[in-house]
Amino acid sequence: MFRFIVHRLNFLKTIPFFALVYDSCLKIGVWLTAPEKLSWFDEIENEVLSWEGTNVSLHKFGGTQFNYGTKEMGHLHSNGLLDILFNRRAKQELLASGKAEIHHVFKKSGWISFYIATENDLANAKFLLKRAYQSMNQ
Amino acid sequence: MKAPAYKEFLGFLIPNILIIGIIAINRFVLQAGSEGILVFSEFIILPILMGILAAWFWRDLKLSSKKLIWYSILNGFFAIVLSFFFLGEGTICLIIVSPLIFAFVTTGAFIGKVMFKKSKQTLNISFVSLLLAVFIVDSISDHQYGNMVSDEVIIKASSQKIWKNVVAFDKIDKPNNYWLFKAGMPSPMQTTVTGYKNGAGRKCIFSNGYTFDEKIVTYEENKNLTFDIVNQPKDPEIMGHIDIDRGQFLLHDNGDGTTTLVGNSWYKLHVFPTWYYDLWAESITRNVHLRVMEHIKVLSEK
Repeated sequence: MFRFIVHRLNFLKTIPFFALVYDSCLKIGVWLTAPEKLSWFDEIENEVLSWEGTNVSLHKFGGTQFNYGTKEMGHLHSNGLLDILFNRRAKQELLASGKAEIHHVFKKSGWISFYIATENDLANAKFLLKRAYQSMNQ
Repeated sequence: MKAPAYKEFLGFLIPNILIIGIIAINRFVLQAGSEGILVFSEFIILPILMGILAAWFWRDLKLSSKKLIWYSILNGFFAIVLSFFFLGEGTICLIIVSPLIFAFVTTGAFIGKVMFKKSKQTLNISFVSLLLAVFIVDSISDHQYGNMVSDEVIIKASSQKIWKNVVAFDKIDKPNNYWLFKAGMPSPMQTTVTGYKNGAGRKCIFSNGYTFDEKIVTYEENKNLTFDIVNQPKDPEIMGHIDIDRGQFLLHDNGDGTTTLVGNSWYKLHVFPTWYYDLWAESITRNVHLRVMEHIKVLSEK
């Protein structure tokens, strides 16, 4: 469903609030079917906010956006899809190590995706965000 | 009451009073005497504002996402219950509107959560003012929307045999299949006429006894029955939400012993956004058509 909306109904993101409302629907869906995931997402948010210079905002295409100052590090859609921006070299390294996957839309960019499906994925999600933070903090 | 519990309570109380108050003023004061159109912002902007306002009361409570969603759904539920008691909305209408309310209140709550974390007051005031401005502009703008729904069935009978069942028919005994009819929405049961001619009165009687009074405006035997709805039931599910203007049955002889029966209905919606409510209106109209037309088919194929 998420894939279908993102790929086939991409034009909907131009409608004001659509992406935010769609993400809220994802949140309600997760709340009904796998509420523990929401606690994991809160844990990630709290972890990122404990790092100096970070803040969160709403991502323009729905989800929680993690920022370092005014620059975006990445964002977490409410279905558990974490997207993070790296440079090309870091991206290739992360893909080769299996810690990240090619971004679900922008395959040729520095963006990577990582789907948080189980509690075991939390550590890798935090690792990826920390790495993005460190690269911006350098 | 301890401070957090007090703030939690205010996060439910104040947004609900405010939102129901705004809708009541809009409907009974600003639009008094009009048809009371329910504009899109009442279902989108106000629930978002409700969520933002609630998030302001809950800003120091560090609510988890789970709790924030649960509270937002509760807030939406309270608004729906209050609408039932104070705004006279019908149960089916509230069932239809509830997914929109829950999604938009939750969206507002998460917008508010991020807003009040940043403490950028200028941005917050600008954003909330913008939403209120959209609400005001939307409320005073002209809203018109009409649609026609068409359905057809093929009946193994001549148009002459079908015609008498089209003009009037006895009670439909078949159990309802459509989920909204099963949930209590009235379904068509019977049709009566005062005469088989132009200008004759026709009544479409629904399962709860409600009657749509109709007047035949085109009576072309075995071909075309068109009727205007001259009076519809004073039911909160219908009043101020939808006007059924006209109905029509067309019969086409297929030349192989079968006849295509086409059912058309024209209606006007008074609830916006139409992209949402017209989905429901079309679905309900289609199921009214199909229930009647399938009954005509059974009667005609006997």
